[in-house]
Parts: sequence; structure tokens; C-alpha cells
Amino acid sequence: MRNLFAFFRRFRVFLVFFFMQIFALTTYFSFLQYPRAQYLTTASAVAGKTLTIRNDLTKHFNLGRSNSALQWENKWLREQLPQSFQRLQYGLVKINDTLFKQQYEYFPGTVINSTVTKRNNYFTLNIGKAQGIKRGMGVFSDKGVVGIIHNVSDHFAVVKSVLTEEINIDVMIEPIGLFGLLKWNGENHRKGSISGISNDMHIKKWSKVVTRGGSGIFPRGIMVGKIEKLRPVEGKPLWDVVVRFSENYASLQRVYVIKNLMQEEQTELESNIPPDEEE
Amino acid sequence: MNVAVKYGLRFLLFVALQALVLNQLELGFGIQFMVYPLLIVLLPFEMGTIALLVVAFLMGILIDAVSNTYGLHASSAVLIAYLRPLIFKTFAPRDGYDPLKEGNSYDMGFRWFLYTFGLLLFIHHFWFFLLEIFRFDEIPFVLQKTVMSLPFSFLLCLIIQAMIVSKPKER
Repeated sequence: MRNLFAFFRRFRVFLVFFFMQIFALTTYFSFLQYPRAQYLTTASAVAGKTLTIRNDLTKHFNLGRSNSALQWENKWLREQLPQSFQRLQYGLVKINDTLFKQQYEYFPGTVINSTVTKRNNYFTLNIGKAQGIKRGMGVFSDKGVVGIIHNVSDHFAVVKSVLTEEINIDVMIEPIGLFGLLKWNGENHRKGSISGISNDMHIKKWSKVVTRGGSGIFPRGIMVGKIEKLRPVEGKPLWDVVVRFSENYASLQRVYVIKNLMQEEQTELESNIPPDEEE
Repeated sequence: MNVAVKYGLRFLLFVALQALVLNQLELGFGIQFMVYPLLIVLLPFEMGTIALLVVAFLMGILIDAVSNTYGLHASSAVLIAYLRPLIFKTFAPRDGYDPLKEGNSYDMGFRWFLYTFGLLLFIHHFWFFLLEIFRFDEIPFVLQKTVMSLPFSFLLCLIIQAMIVSKPKER
């Protein structure tokens, strides 16, 4: 027993160091996988408040640009309103629309903290559980896709952005309809890549890349970017497709969080698929 | 000024500066300013390693909580706090450290400061970026980030040091 105490006394500095490292590294790597605890993220109340105050000070720097972006979106939305259509047929009365049912709802939010140069970049939003945000919802802005909600507290949410290693959003190249997974290599916040595109397809440069809507997180057709370059992958029949993002994440301000009203239905249906026996 | 108050103020200053200002600056090319290692070097010479570790850990965790890094800063800060006594011993002056002085470039000379602080800052940056990226095939990217950030952090630390440490009077 005395030897044990002597051992602890002798190595106490190293033991303290060791436990601190273990603690820090476990929180770091477990957060990358799955956010279990709330207390060390920007979604926690104290850090969230600090960041809100900071955002209140700095948000006006981009006011001109975000106003004109909002104005453009308003213009576009206004054009969809019934008032801006001329009525061609009279005598029709709309009672209850049975052809269309609402599938997606959108919650507006503001980015109050963001990084773009780290290997994995997370954005903090000023909306949370109280506003109906849940983990796994998609986030986009008026110019393009942003990411997926990773962690939520009562009034804040952390978004795992497109600028992370394992984002894997289902995307589709228009107009040929090829699809692959969106990746980011950590170097440039304006460029990402798509994996899994086979090189027997002819792809035009600057063709549009949009979300595919396969997993039900994003509706089909949210802009991601444009194809900038095609490089052959050595030793594999694949293209390495470089995408130029349509959104500049360094100056991202206003975003929308997507709620899919039919998500449960889709997940339930897809869970009935029998697992592959051969693998 | 009371020593505890002095270091407490510095602690708050470094945490606020790092978390609220420097972590938001993104210059590209892998440049990232990290200045809080300076606080760990400036702590008194006679301070025990466990106390150093606790201070470094608290500082790292506080910075992490505000910048979505979940323990990266804490891990790097604790590592250099653990290595500080070893490196100080290696570069010790012939007659040991004067407990009235502190580890800044005025008291100990610029050469001493360059060696000890430069080495600690290098270890800190390398460890930080290594954990942040954590892939063997991206080691060149880790080195690029370390080499690009190191001179910027070092220069910024010199400027901050000039602002918070009072120069000794010429004899």
C-alpha cells in the first residue's frame, strides 16, 4: 500500500497531466462523432450569450450586402405571390388543395459564430429547441446549402457545416442527374468536391450542382455550387470533381433551417428494406 | 500590484483576446493566431507544475467553450504547461532563475525568450493542428499550417508582451 502511495506521489504531475489530456481529447473526439454533453459548446447558455453580444456589435458590418441579398429574395418570392399572376380562367374557386401538401417548413435564423479555416468548421445559430429546431435538420441560405444541425440547446444550435470532413450531403449534377456525395478537403472554403462520379460520363464544366433530396434532410434542388474542374483519380475509374460553392461561408449571415414534415414517413418506409444478405 | 490580481487580469485578457477576437480572424493560407501560450511562459518561475497544469487547463477549456473546438485548445495548453519545466531547465541560466524576474524577453534576454517560447509555441501549434486535422495523409497540411502560423503568433506575442509587461528601468 505504501508503495502505491509512493508511486502516486512520485508521478502525480504526470498523472494530473495525463487525466487532463484524456479529458480534453475525449471531449474533442466524442464531439466530432456525436454531441453528448452540452456544457462545452457554443450552444451552452453562457457562451451563446457572449457570442450574441459580439454578433450584435459586428453584424452591421455586412448590413448593406445582406440587405440587398434579402431584397433579391423578396423580389423573387413576391413574384410567386397570387397578386403577381394574372388570372386567366374565371369561375374556378379554390376550396382545399388536395394536389399539393406541404412537405417542408423553414425557420429563419442568424449565424452568430462561424469559422472557415479550421479542418472542421461549425456555425452557431441564434435559434434552438424553443423555436423547434432538432438535431439532423438541414440548413441553407439564399445562395446555397450550409450544413446540418449537429447540436441544439434551448436557444442556440450548432451547425455542422459543409466545411467539415464527413458532411456527405447527397448532391446531384444538373442537368444530367448524376449523383455523388459532397466532401471538403480542408484547404479552401470556396471549393469542395464530389466523390463517386464515374469517369465514363461526360460532364460539362460550370454545370450546376444541387442537393438531391435523397435523405429527406434537404428538399431537391437547393443550390450547392458549380463544377469548376474535373480531375481523373489515379487508379480508379472516377472523376475528382471540384465544386465552387455558390455561398461564401466567410460572410454568411442569414440562414433557414428546414423541417421535413414527412421525414418520419420516409424513414419508416426505408427501414423496411431488408438488410443485404451477401455482405 | 498584487501578484494574484496581476495574473488574474492577464488570464482574463488572454482568454477574451483569443476566444473573441483572434479565433474570428481568418486570413487564409492556414494562418491562425494563438497567443495564450505567452501567459503560460509568463507565469512565475517558482510555480509548481500542477498549478501550471490547472491554469492551462482552465484557460484552454474556456477558450474551447466559445469557439467550437471542444477541447483542442485545452489539450495543447496542458501539453505545453507540462513541458514548460523541462524546457526551462534545459535553457536555465548558469546561476538558476531569479524568482523576482519573470520569463519575458526584457528580464531574461531576447535569445532566451526566442529559444524557450519559440520551442513551446512550435510544440503547441504542431500538436494543435495535428489533432485538428488528425489524418496521416494530410501531414503536409499540418506542417503548412504550423509553419505559416508560427511567425505570426510569435510576432503578435512580442507586441502583446511589450504592452502588458513593464520594461525594467535602465541602470
